[in-house]
Amino acid sequence: MNRARRLGLVGGLAAVALAATPFACLWALQARDAEPPPANVVLDIAIWMAVFGSPAMLAAWLLWRAWWRQAGERLSALDGPGWLLAAAAATLPAERRHWGPAMAAELAQVQGRAARWRFAAGCARTALFPPRAGGAAVSVTGALAVGAIAAAAVLTGAALPAGRAFALVLVGLLGGLATLAVARSRWAGWTAPGPALTGLGQAGVTACLALTVYYLAEHPAYGGVDRADAVSLPPPTAVVLAVALAGCLGLALRPPRWLLPDRTARWFGIAMAVALVGGFLLDARLVQPGRDPGGQGMMGYLVSGPLLVILPGSALAAAVGRSLRSGLWACAWAVALAAPLLITAWLAEALHWDQVGRGAVLDGAGPMGVGVNLADAVWWPLLFLALWAVPLGILGAAAGSWRARRRRARRRASPVPTA
Amino acid sequence: MLSFRHPSEQATAVVLALAEEPATWRYGYELCQRLDLQAGRLYPVLMRLADRGLLETAWESDVPADRLPRHLYRLTGPGRVLAGRLAAEPPARPTPAPVAGRIRRRPRLEGT
Repeated sequence: MNRARRLGLVGGLAAVALAATPFACLWALQARDAEPPPANVVLDIAIWMAVFGSPAMLAAWLLWRAWWRQAGERLSALDGPGWLLAAAAATLPAERRHWGPAMAAELAQVQGRAARWRFAAGCARTALFPPRAGGAAVSVTGALAVGAIAAAAVLTGAALPAGRAFALVLVGLLGGLATLAVARSRWAGWTAPGPALTGLGQAGVTACLALTVYYLAEHPAYGGVDRADAVSLPPPTAVVLAVALAGCLGLALRPPRWLLPDRTARWFGIAMAVALVGGFLLDARLVQPGRDPGGQGMMGYLVSGPLLVILPGSALAAAVGRSLRSGLWACAWAVALAAPLLITAWLAEALHWDQVGRGAVLDGAGPMGVGVNLADAVWWPLLFLALWAVPLGILGAAAGSWRARRRRARRRASPVPTA
Repeated sequence: MLSFRHPSEQATAVVLALAEEPATWRYGYELCQRLDLQAGRLYPVLMRLADRGLLETAWESDVPADRLPRHLYRLTGPGRVLAGRLAAEPPARPTPAPVAGRIRRRPRLEGT
């Protein structure tokens, strides 16, 4: 087995192990909570985790293979300094991207192990921290961001104490993103992904923010199972929500350039996000009321929704775009847009379910108070989008691009007709 | 008349080195060795000079199949003007050593 194949196999196994890690952690948490842990319950949980983890592991393997097929030959020929430089150069902004090959070509001429490491380390430092543009504008934006964090601390301390951690992390992240955008704007310009996508992304984040603030003001605590005053948005959940919202807003306003050119992927992403959230609302309003009280809850939709929407949608996007990339980017847009919209729909439905006397949106359990839905609305949609919908999207994209790959392989194999 | 911000010490060294033979294309590693500069200091200078239109860049042509084409650098017209101005300036005074490391000598009398 040559070096490229050996490295490809090792990297693929590492990718599969990485994909399996969250499921192993979830299994460990569940098994720990089953007190005392009967062997058959632990085995049941393990089987469920294996079932839900299989798409993620298969997707990780396929994604690694697709990437290694393109870059493996080149990367396997590199030594340590070459890997260091290649990894650092991959982070260069698009407008500075040509400096990566320039440095790599120079490194190829450097002789001696120590000299190569020294040269690669210097180049890596430049690639990771390239000269910044607009020093004054960056400083002003950074100062404004710090001011906004201080203002958020004062305001939430006085008016919304339950939302202090959330506000601080969100304002801090948005300030950091704004400073980064100003620092890179000299070369990059404004790369908007189109009004439909930007509008939907902004609307989702704004609506989610508004409902979160409403919950924090009106339902900051609820009657928990063990205690009477469980906090609706504990600090870890607040951090996760803030990171998700800032990330989605950043993607909607200023996505990386490599996500932009594929119009097919953008439109499929919008359609899948709307379908996923529409399906959630329809299920919550029309299907759930018909079930007996014990069988209510939206957990089932989190499993079936991505299967019905993301898997075929990504496959179709890949087939129409005739590439794996189109399907992957469509899935990425769908997940980024659907995350704030699903949280919003969950929180809005929770208010309705509370009015009509149903329990928590997740599983119909209750009554505990509406506040219990806030943490559920953050964790469950994000968990299922990341660990279930994304792997299904990758599998769909791989399936959709299969015909295009076969056609390309056939064209390469057939002799070129000569005149 | 062109106006430039005064470049840093390292940028000055790079501009003056490139101005020695302004028509000749230079390589990055060659400049590193010649000026005894680390790559981490040279490449930011090259990027800034290129951003300001003082440096012209090109890719090496006629490269053997087993070698990557190298990036080449030389000064543009404004870059040469800057080089001329920097060359005409009096040499900068050496930076004083930090107090702790400075060797303190007794004042010496004239003629001793």
